[in-house]
This record gives sequence, C-alpha cells and structure tokens, in this order.
Amino acid sequence: MTLVEISEMERHYVMASETVRALDGIDLSINKGERIILLGPSGSGKTTLLNCVAALDNPTAGDYSFDGESVPRNHAEKMTTFRRENIGYVFQFFNLLQDLTVLENILLIQELSGKRDKKRAIELLSLVGLEAEVNRFPAEISGGQQQRVAIARSLAKSPKLLLGDELTGNLDSATSSKVMEVLVKACDAEGITVIMVTHDESLAKYATRVVRLDSGKIISDEKVNN
Amino acid sequence: MSMLLTKRLARSLWRTKLRLSAVILMVSVGVFAGIAFGAYANSVTTLYDDIYADDDDGVNLPDVWVENNGGNWDGNTSEKLCQDITNEWPINELTLNKCEARLKSSGQLFSDDDEIGMVTAVWHGIDEGELDRVWIPEHDCCSGRTASAANEIVVDQHAADALHIGIDDIINISAGAGYSMGFKVVGIGFHSNHLYFAQAGDLLPAEPGTFVTGYMTDEGLEALANFNPGESNLLLLDISGTPESEELASLLEEISIIVSENDDSPMIVYDRTGIASVEFLRADVEGAMKTYPIVTGMLAMVAGITIFLSLQRLIQSQAKEIAVLRTLGVRQISLMPGYVIAPIFIGITGGVLGIIPGVLFGAPGMITMYESIMGIPIINPEISASMVLQNFAIAMAIVFLSGLRPAWQASRLQPLEVLRGQHEIRLSSKGLQKVTSIFPATVGLTIRSSVRKPVRLMFTFLAVGLSMLLFGSMIIMMDSMGNVFLGGLEDRQSWDAQVFTLDGQEGIIEWADENDAVYEMALMFPGTPENDSRQLLAYGLENVATETGESMYLVDLAKGELPSSGLETPEVLIDEGINNFLGWEIGETHSLVFGTKTVDVKITGFTKGEISRTVYFYRADLAEKIGLQATVIMLQLPDGVEVDDELAQNSLGITMREDTLASFETIMEKQQGMFYAIEGLGIMIAVAVLFNTLIMNLAERDTELATLRVLGASNNRLGLMLFGEHLAIGLIGGILGCIFSLIGTKIMISAFAQWTMYFTISASTSSIFILIGIVVFISISLTPIGMWRIKKMNLVDKVKDLSQ
Repeated sequence: MTLVEISEMERHYVMASETVRALDGIDLSINKGERIILLGPSGSGKTTLLNCVAALDNPTAGDYSFDGESVPRNHAEKMTTFRRENIGYVFQFFNLLQDLTVLENILLIQELSGKRDKKRAIELLSLVGLEAEVNRFPAEISGGQQQRVAIARSLAKSPKLLLGDELTGNLDSATSSKVMEVLVKACDAEGITVIMVTHDESLAKYATRVVRLDSGKIISDEKVNN
Repeated sequence: MSMLLTKRLARSLWRTKLRLSAVILMVSVGVFAGIAFGAYANSVTTLYDDIYADDDDGVNLPDVWVENNGGNWDGNTSEKLCQDITNEWPINELTLNKCEARLKSSGQLFSDDDEIGMVTAVWHGIDEGELDRVWIPEHDCCSGRTASAANEIVVDQHAADALHIGIDDIINISAGAGYSMGFKVVGIGFHSNHLYFAQAGDLLPAEPGTFVTGYMTDEGLEALANFNPGESNLLLLDISGTPESEELASLLEEISIIVSENDDSPMIVYDRTGIASVEFLRADVEGAMKTYPIVTGMLAMVAGITIFLSLQRLIQSQAKEIAVLRTLGVRQISLMPGYVIAPIFIGITGGVLGIIPGVLFGAPGMITMYESIMGIPIINPEISASMVLQNFAIAMAIVFLSGLRPAWQASRLQPLEVLRGQHEIRLSSKGLQKVTSIFPATVGLTIRSSVRKPVRLMFTFLAVGLSMLLFGSMIIMMDSMGNVFLGGLEDRQSWDAQVFTLDGQEGIIEWADENDAVYEMALMFPGTPENDSRQLLAYGLENVATETGESMYLVDLAKGELPSSGLETPEVLIDEGINNFLGWEIGETHSLVFGTKTVDVKITGFTKGEISRTVYFYRADLAEKIGLQATVIMLQLPDGVEVDDELAQNSLGITMREDTLASFETIMEKQQGMFYAIEGLGIMIAVAVLFNTLIMNLAERDTELATLRVLGASNNRLGLMLFGEHLAIGLIGGILGCIFSLIGTKIMISAFAQWTMYFTISASTSSIFILIGIVVFISISLTPIGMWRIKKMNLVDKVKDLSQ
C-alpha cells in the first residue's frame, strides 16, 4: 500500500548567477512499512528531498501525495499540521532539550501534539532500551543514548513516516549499529515507514530499499533483501 | 589583529542597530536629564545666593528673627529689646551688625474687579530697610522703587502679575482695623519671606489672584492697621559672616532668654529655617542638587546593564571565532580592547547626543518650568561646563565599567571548551528541575527556560526596577501628593473658610451668627521643643477627633489614642515627623516652649499626613497655657453665603477652601507635563530593557524552537509557551519593580526629609497594580515579536544548522 507518491518533483534554488536544480524530476513511490535509505554524494539532493517529503520545503514543481492525500505547500501552518500528524524526525545532533529529562523530552512532544501519554512514553523508552534513564538529563547520558531518546521522541506521536538526516553521523560505528538496530526494532514494532539520508553505505543492511541520487536525479532504486 | 577584531565587533554591533540605538538613547537620556536638573539646581542656587546676599544688590537676609505672636511691642519696647540684645550679646565669636524692628500684619486687598473681590494679604511695614530689603531686580518682571511715603506701597510681583496691578495704580487695602485705605503702587518686586508665594502654613503656592503681599513704610502700615507710631512685632538681627549651626542654635537660645527676661509677650526666636519661603526653596535646591547626579547615574546604570548583557550575548555568539583565534595563538590581551572600546563608543555617542539637547532645550526648559511654577525670574541661568562634564563623566564611568567584565570574559574563554560546545550548556538548577517536574513538560520547560540565565535575569530585573523607579516614584508621589500638600483637606477638614484673628474673634462670631454660618474656634500657635530652636505648630482644636461630624478639622491618627482634655498635664498628639526627629514616644511627657512659657505635655498618639511638625492640643488646654482664645475661626457657610468685606475688615486674613483646592489643581496641572514625561521615560526604558533580554533569550533558543517546529509544534503552541514565559518574567519583574519603586521612593524621600518638610509616602493598591501591570503588559506585549520570529524561521536553513 503506497504511503508516499512523488511525481516529477523539482526544487530549484535561484542563486546570484545561476539556478541550482537541487531536485530535477524525482519520481518515487514508497509503500507502508518500507525502510528507505537515500545515498549519494554531497549536493546530490538527498537532504532537499527529505525536506520536501517532511513538508519543511516547498517543491518548485511536481506532485507529492501522502497516504492518498495531496501534501500542502506554501502554507506554513498547514505544513506544520501535516508534519505533526504524520512525520517523525531524527537529527544528526539529537537536539534534545537540555532542560528536560529524557522522559520529559518525549512528553513535551506529546503535549505539543495535544496527546500526553506518560505510559506510552515510558514504553517507547523501553523499546529503545532506556527505561532506566527516564529521569536523567540529556547531558548525563551518552551520545548513542541521546540518539535513542531522539528516536523514541520521534515515535512519541505515532508518525506514519520517520525521517532521519545523517542520524548516525555523529556516532562511532558500534554505537551506530546499536542505534540502527533499535530504530529498526522500534519502527517494525510500530509499523512505521522510514526514510534515512546517509553517506554511510554500511547502513544499507538496515534498509529494505536503497535509493541513490546524484545531481538531483534518482540514479538507482534497489530493493534490499535483508 | 586587535584592530581587525574591533572592526569585526563593530560590524556585529551594527547588525543589532535597534538594540544599539536603544542603549545609546538610554545614555543620552541620562545625560540630558542630568544636565536639565543640574542646570536648574545650579541656577537656582546662584539665584538665592544673589538674592540673600549681604551686599547692595542683595536683600541682606537676617540671621535671627524675634517675633511677637501675641501682639505688638510699642516703640520704646522694641528699641529697648534691641538695646538689651546688643548689650547682653551672648557669644563673643559672633558680632551683631544690626537689630532692626519691623511691623508685619495680615489683611486684605479689595479689588475693583468684582470677579476677584477680596484678596487675602500680608503687609510689611519697613522702617530703616537695611535688613531684609525689598528686591527689585533689573529685569522685565519688576520695576519702580521702594516706598518712601506713608501712602506708597510696593506690590509683590507674583500678585501684581496675577491681579494686573501696575505702577501708579491705587489699591484699596485693609489690615484688620475695620476700615480700608488707598495706597499708590510705586514698585513691583519681591521679598525674601514671599519668594515662594504661599500663604502662611500652606505648602502650595497660592492660586494666582488669591493672595497678595505688599511692602510699605512702617508709618504706612501703622496708619492702615491703626497701630501707634513705632509699634513693631518683629526684630531682625544681622550677624557678621555666616555662623556655624551649633553657634546659631546656642545663640537662638540665649537671645530667647534675653528677650523673655525683658518682655513677657509670647514670642518666638528663629533662624532662616523658620522662614517658610527661605527654607522651602533651600530644601528644593538641596533636593535638586542631590537628585541630578542620581538621575544621570541611574539611567546610565540601566544603559550599562543593557550594554553588559548585550556584550555577553555577543561574546557567546562569537565564542567559536574567539576560540579559533585563541587556538591560533592570539593573546588574551589582544581580544579585550574591542569589547572595551564598544561601550566607550556607546558612551561618547550617547553622551554627545544627550549634551546637545540637554544644553539647548533641557536646561532652559527646566528653568522656564521653575519660573512658571515659582514665579521667580532666574536672572543669570547657569549651565556650567563643569556640571555638563560631571554628568558626562558619570555616564562614561558607568558605561565603561559595564564593558569590563564581558571583555575579561571574552579573553578568558577556553578554546577547547568552546570548540566542544561545553560553554553553551546552560542548565537550570537541579532544585528548580525537581520543583518543576510536577508540572507538564511544557510548563516545566517554560519555567526553566525563563530562569536559565539567572544572572542575566537578575540584571534585567535590576534594570527594569531602576526604570520602574522613575515611573513608580512619580505614580507613588502623585498618589501621596494630595495628602502631603492638602494635609487631608479633602477628607478630614470640612470648613469652607478659615478666618484668622489675634483674639479678636467676637466680630467674626457675630458675623457667623448673623449669616447662619456654623463656626468652630481654633488656635494655631508656633512653638519649639524645649532646648531646640526648630519650630513646630501647635493646633488647639475644640475637639480632637477622627470621626466625621465631631470636628471641622479631624486628625489622622496613625498610632496611639486620642487625648483627653482638662488634665493638669495636657495630653496631645504629635505628628510622625516629631517622633522621627526627636524620638518622642507615646506615653512620654515632654516640654514645649511657647514664647516665654514652657508647657509640659503628655503624648497619647501620633498623627500622619502633616508635612510640618505639628502638635494637637485641645483648644481649652492650649488657650490656658498661652493666654489666647483663638487665632482662627473655621466657618461652614450655608448655601448662598459668601465671605464679605465686613468679615474681612474684622479679620487678619481669610483662607478659602476652594482656593486651596484650586492651588493644588493648578500646581498639579503645571507639573503634569513633567510627571508624564518622566513616567513615559521610565516605561520606554523598561520596554527597551525587557525587549533586549527577551530577544536575547529567544535568539539563544533558536535551536530549541526550530527543533520543536520541525517536529510539528504549531506556532500557536509555541506562542503559548512564550506567552507563559513572558508572563512569568513580567510578573516577577513587575513585583520586583514595584518593590524597587516603593523602597527607592521611600529612600529618596527620607534622604530629603527634614524638620520643616517631612512626609512619608504610601502607594495605593491601584498604584501597585498599575506598576506590576505595566511590566507584565510590556513583557507579554513582546510575545508577538517572538512569535513573528518563530514564524519567519527558515526551517530548511534551521534543519541545515541542526545537521551541522
């Protein structure tokens, strides 16, 4: 069942002397439950595609529908609502709120979405293996643990699609593996579709599909048999 | 290297033009206000020195006054008293220059203009005129000469201006003798007793056209008041040089003994502090002199705090660059100059921008306002370079100091810590985290974010408090002003007219009976505490009461109990000022001196609301001690009955309730502009300070807010969080600002408090709400700016930042 349907998506940036075509006619269809990894060199358009999928950015042209509905564009509040209802996001640098405990970081997102559920927040922390750290502050736990909190946080409002931008880019390989295993486990458990941007080819083993981009175009789209 | 860093810093500052302009404006406002107040204080000081000077141009103000409160001395007695004082001169270190007898009487002027009618007056009969001369300066205000013939008079400029009296006019006047006479106006000028043009016992300048004073020859006043030739009721003593206060106190005591040994009239001996006009104007100048460096310093301090906080924020945002430079080997000392030069630049720019309008408009404006309120021309306005430099130096010193700590902090940044990002980690305290963990995460975050930088917040509150002191002191002062200046006239006094007499009450009572007016006799008599030359006013009331209907003049009992009458040792109430200055307590017995008589009194309570030192007796008790039955008759007039010439000619003066209330309204109107300007200034500065801090708080939370936005938090939700944060900051700032205003105003008032002018202030509940409400309002009004900032966030760029 198709969750994301992108057709002829373009995103152009007008610079001083030229127009940069960051996305240049992307066609992409993603089914529910898939785990997609976007690979490609710097400037290939990975992050721009992720931003457009997250409704953080407005495509210059093309169509984008999510779960059968057209995704709003050029309307900040509607785009925010779309994100709130559908999208989870994990950053490279975790970006946890330092003033809040691990548990409170998750509760905050729930409160902002209007559905505080402490039991579920604790369940999510258990899912990422951090049930013992609920009352600790981000500064008191390791980078890998912080990223797992960030994953739990992004799952807190039960998104349909989880997006990750270089989410292991700031972690060593052992920690990266652990985080990815947690992510796969958690998303499988919650039935969440995942799109991750990375430079790291080794993460392909955690994906069901690898999409490669270059110069704003998809140059390969392969299913992975894990 | 340091030049390039300085250039870099200048560019960074330029990017925050609005904040930079606000800080420069604060410095310039501080310097402007300092110059305006300073010029006023200096000009007025010079003016009084010139007027009182013992030379041909000055009035030769006496050093000691001996006043007969019970009537007049005949010519022989006053001459003899002067001779006795000269012969028995008690202090060898001081030399008596001159003893001059004078005559002073209350009275009325009868205007041809029916709308003006009868005007209360004080007439001075000037004999030799070597002391306390009439001052007719060479200025547009004044003209003519002093009176030399018995039918000539100089009219005070304040009154001449209000009543449109000119040279060669004939004015019809009386002095309690039962008839009136015409006098020819030969001069328009001033007198030391009436430079501050208020009626006796009043703190407010008289409403124009309701009071007049005139200066004639002693023969002229003798004829007008039906006195015998040579009669006097004042002795003026002039001493060589300026006696020390201790010498003077001792001299007053000795002269009192000499006079009382040679005459048994109820008299009082006092120095310049006993002349209300002289003392009031001195207190005013002293207040202005004390105030202007404080005003400049206070405003500069607010600017200094803003500079301090802004530089700290700037250093934080430039920390990585500084760390890279330090890693590359740049010395600590090379990093400092830019951060020191920045506040100097701000100080110089703000200072110059304050000096120019201060000298051109502020100082002349203050002087003009003084002339308008006091009615005294400042002939030689003084805007000295030293005063301007003093204000500039105060501002520069405070602003310079505000840059030192951030500069030192910049040079001390540890490169490794900065590059690891550790310097940016700022957490709220564990205690606060624990306390707020019981709240929803949104509320907890709001509270913790609000106090994440306690030092910044405390400095912000200090600056808001200082700026609210400007606003709050005006609100609180205006709150208390009615009480202070009207002495409870609106709430506690129900008379329509006070008719003054010196035991000649029969004619007045007769008039009251004829006109169905209700009357109440009272005594007002000056005295001193024993062994103390400072004057107080004893009131003898028919009934010392607090409840409406029990007396036309109610007291405001602050502590203790009402006195009883008819006891061997009279029971009295004293005002809070006497308690403050003399330490007299309830239940104690103390001695008061009225002329030659010493009276023991027992204190049963304190009253509040009197600006002058006051003792309340039962009239019968005081009358028995001083030998006078009444000096004032309070009248409640029936509808349609007005005071008339018959009453006036039988009295020494009449004060109308409506005139006093009108005076208060007039002075409030005249000062309203300044009050509003200061209030507006305080609010503007509070806005700038809060704006600065809240914008910095927001800027520091960009990452946090961007994360929440990316994760789907709506603008409204984030706006609600900001609203909560601003509400919390506003509430705390408002409460602190209010406390600051109350304490600051009380300290300011107590610094100016003195025997002749003591008052306490109290803020009404509505003022407290206004003070807190204003800060809360300013704070939450800035929420839309925060929301606008969040709304205009480029999330794509922010995500890029978050991923780098």
